[in-house]
Amino acid sequence: MMPAFSSSSTASRKASSPLRRYFTSLTVRQRWGAGLLLLLLAFAWLVPWLSDADPARQQLTRILQAPSLAEPFGTDHLGRSMLARLASAIQLSLGMALLSVATAAIPGVLLGVMAGWRGGWCDRVLGSIADACLALPGLLLVLLLVAIAPGNFWALYVGISLVLWIEYFRVVRARTQALVTSPQIEASRLLGFGPVMLFRRHLWPELAPQVFTLAAFGAASAILAMAALGFVSVGLRPPTAELGLMMIELLPYYHEAPWAMAQPIIVLFVVVLSLNLLAGKDPR
Amino acid sequence: MISRANQGLSHLLLSRLFQAGLVAWLVGTLTFVLTRTLPGDMAYRIAAGRYGHDMVDGAAAEAVRAELALDQPGLSAYVGWLWDLLQLDLGRSLVSGRPVIQELSHQLGHSLSLAVIAVLLSLLIGPPLGLAAGRKPGGVLDRVSEVAASVLRALPAFAVGLLLIMLFAVTLGWLPAAGHGGTAHTVLPALTLALGLAAVSSRVARNAMAEVSHSAYYAFSHTKGLSARQSFWRHGLRNASVPVVAYLGVQFVYLIEGVVVVETLFAWPGIGHALVHAIVARDVPMIQGTALVMGLLFVLLNTAVDITCYLLDPRRRRA
Amino acid sequence: MTSMTLTTTLLQASDLAISGDGVTIAPISFTLEAGQRLTLLGETGSGKSLIAQAIMGTLPAGLSAQGALEIAGKRFAAAEPATRHSLWGRTLALLPQEPWHALDPTMRAQAQVAETHRFVAGKTAPAANEAASAELSRLGLAQALNKLPGELSGGMAQRVAFAAASAAGAPIVIADEPTKGLDAPRRDEVVELLAHTPNRGGALLTITHDIEVARRLGGEVIILRQGQVVERGPANVLLNHPETAYAQRLLGAEPSRWPDPPSFTGSAQAPVISADALRIERGGRELFRDLSVSVRPGEIVGVVGPSGCGKSTLGDILLGVTRPNAGRVDISREMPRLGRQKLYQDPPAAFSPHWSLTQLLEDLQRRHRFEQRAIAPLMQRLGLNEPLLSRRPGEISGGELQRFAILRVLLLKPRFLFADEPTSRLDPVTQQQTLSLLVELAREQACAVMLVSHDPALVEKVCDQTLTLAG
Repeated sequence: MMPAFSSSSTASRKASSPLRRYFTSLTVRQRWGAGLLLLLLAFAWLVPWLSDADPARQQLTRILQAPSLAEPFGTDHLGRSMLARLASAIQLSLGMALLSVATAAIPGVLLGVMAGWRGGWCDRVLGSIADACLALPGLLLVLLLVAIAPGNFWALYVGISLVLWIEYFRVVRARTQALVTSPQIEASRLLGFGPVMLFRRHLWPELAPQVFTLAAFGAASAILAMAALGFVSVGLRPPTAELGLMMIELLPYYHEAPWAMAQPIIVLFVVVLSLNLLAGKDPR
Repeated sequence: MISRANQGLSHLLLSRLFQAGLVAWLVGTLTFVLTRTLPGDMAYRIAAGRYGHDMVDGAAAEAVRAELALDQPGLSAYVGWLWDLLQLDLGRSLVSGRPVIQELSHQLGHSLSLAVIAVLLSLLIGPPLGLAAGRKPGGVLDRVSEVAASVLRALPAFAVGLLLIMLFAVTLGWLPAAGHGGTAHTVLPALTLALGLAAVSSRVARNAMAEVSHSAYYAFSHTKGLSARQSFWRHGLRNASVPVVAYLGVQFVYLIEGVVVVETLFAWPGIGHALVHAIVARDVPMIQGTALVMGLLFVLLNTAVDITCYLLDPRRRRA
Repeated sequence: MTSMTLTTTLLQASDLAISGDGVTIAPISFTLEAGQRLTLLGETGSGKSLIAQAIMGTLPAGLSAQGALEIAGKRFAAAEPATRHSLWGRTLALLPQEPWHALDPTMRAQAQVAETHRFVAGKTAPAANEAASAELSRLGLAQALNKLPGELSGGMAQRVAFAAASAAGAPIVIADEPTKGLDAPRRDEVVELLAHTPNRGGALLTITHDIEVARRLGGEVIILRQGQVVERGPANVLLNHPETAYAQRLLGAEPSRWPDPPSFTGSAQAPVISADALRIERGGRELFRDLSVSVRPGEIVGVVGPSGCGKSTLGDILLGVTRPNAGRVDISREMPRLGRQKLYQDPPAAFSPHWSLTQLLEDLQRRHRFEQRAIAPLMQRLGLNEPLLSRRPGEISGGELQRFAILRVLLLKPRFLFADEPTSRLDPVTQQQTLSLLVELAREQACAVMLVSHDPALVEKVCDQTLTLAG
């Protein structure tokens, strides 16, 4: 539904597609973020491919073993490979984040453009729905949904997306409202251009960087929310390898194996940090 | 002018009142859906939880069924459910058997004291640091506080709490790790929450102050002849604090979420802890009560922010 | 001037120069005695504001000043900006650009003036308040004491800023573009206000791009261009008989000196668009009523009036963007669907900054299928060249972009063009070039033009008919 940027031959010839220009204009911070994220992705998908360790296989004879050549990250309190569990947890977190962001961003952007462009009752109705979703703090809404379907990945995902779409909606609506009455759109309209062209030439280049930033922040929030729920034992259930769950499971063994406890915390920190760095400046 | 000003404030309060109603309806509806999705033997299991496995019988299960209106058809049960809520009849806890209101009144006090201390602590750390950093953007203080804020923002509240426990309770042994009691017990949970809040508010204050110090009116206040100190107190502080206070409203989302996690981590007997327990135990009346109180608290805090902004910024009073 | 018994040097600059960050201001020297006035006149980019900043010691980071300054009997090295800070408010008063932004948006007018009386002049709080309210009342702002800057007009804000800056009685006043964004009557008020300072024995240094301001202030004038002094002399001599080519060009760009445009010959033709008995309300306020106007092919109709009087709204009605509350608009039967077009006040705001001009032309060509051949000759007439087209709107000058806007609009062969202050953001020389081209092309293509301007002299020169809207 979004116009393809490179479809216009002239745009690619002049290398002036806004998206491409945007990516070449990333700041140093954002490049660090992108680099870290790529490393995490490589780790999460290369580990299961290179080693045959199963994140769920328990070996009660070798619990809480310190990192060694055979087990580079050691084993947990049930003798499971930390390496395999971390890789699996990163996959889960990033997959979930990607899914939530996509399901939140697409309706958020579409409805935001609609509300900002059409104004009137359409704007009022959509605005009220967004306000209603924000009446409760996000985590509370997710908690209630999770209570309805305990331990269910999809309840978690629906809840998080339901909270996340509003930010896209609000930012996009405000920007669209400002642009629709701007001289640049009025001028193009007087020159006879239709809605598709107006969206492509005027709206999307302005919206894309903000949507991208929100997506990165949104991914970080989704990951944090899932870990928080896992941590208070109302999120995903064991034996799933999930970062929050791993922390709470390893907490009792802090004295014997502080390195094991530290691993999910460090990984969560790096995941969220990479996304926050990638996001750049907060548009809110 | 005065009537217009009051109109602005009453409009503001009215919309917050509407939000409170919405919170009640959302919580009521979601918990009602929850009762309907409970598996078949739920009433029996809950009764077992309340009276003990040996004591449970058909009558006890029946009592639970009635409490949750599991025996009525959907619509009338829903209306009845919301009607009870409207009368603030929140029922009894399925676990302890005591009235939910009574449980909440204890927990609310604990949660409030934790939240208030955390907010005050964060206001002592965040905005002053941000204002100082914003007066010299790019300076040493600005860079150091930016790195610290980035690190803290990437760590969820429970991880910060864990690190603090490891450092101050386990390694150094200065403070108790969990539980509720004297001042010592309050330090770590409040600090955990405060650090997360301050990480954001320091950056908001820093950006607001940097914007003010680049503004034409700030430059004019200097060239008019005011000293740096006079300019800051008379023109810098108020203009920079408007966005900081407005952003507190957004931060209260974090506070409410943080309360859930931090209370659970530190075994703090507040509402957040109770909510998590209720969800694990599927204690529906308690879920409804705790979620409702937290939601309303959120609305109340936001109302306080609105009023503060209104008093702080004369432009709002005229608009 | 004759009333002055003693002549004291208040401000003297000796070989004051500025450099750094790609900026060079060649050494400049001048002397201001008590009761004298000096005006630095130049276009955008001539570096005139930097000279004020160098004197105050507020140059942006990366720029540094050289040379010597003597201010009220004390000598300063221009290279040490901090040494002048103690003079601020007490000896040197700076009247800032854009007074709206220079006033604290959250503080009432009286308080902003009173704080100078109190903290700089050292009065007690009640005395400071009293002095502030007396001064503001004297400036005709008795009603505005309790207003916030957002509630003041540009002219009122300028008077508040003047009162705040000069409250501590600084003998030297530096005014940096004090009339920017004000219409002609407001501008003249500010000039009168500024003249108080030298009349009371102070010294006034004014920085402006507006020749009329320099003329009305009198005293000495220095014309600057790209950091160089072009010419200097007494205002009445220099502004009437400039010697250098640049000064002649700059002064020739004043609307009253423009050559007459080609005469309008189509007065017998039927109007392309006419409005009858229009009435317009915005936000519960009636902007105008019983407004009737008609425009013939090739005719230029000027629209003047104070800001907020509904000039742009009239345009929106004639363009069919909004409807009037009463009255009707008749459009000639030959008017094509996109025959009504508009030129905007701020050229960069009328374009998306993300696409090259070539891309924009291609879009237009694809949409309307006009002949590619039509573009080149028109571009040549407008002084636009091929390499310019590969750039994006933010990468060319305002004048070039406005000419590109004219090109884009004229390619559609419009019958009616609403030009909303199309040259008010351009330098005088560029303004003259752009407007005379617009008039020429409108006559040739028989396109009716409605030209909005805040400059009555310009409208009188260019337009065949003038419509004056009251406030």
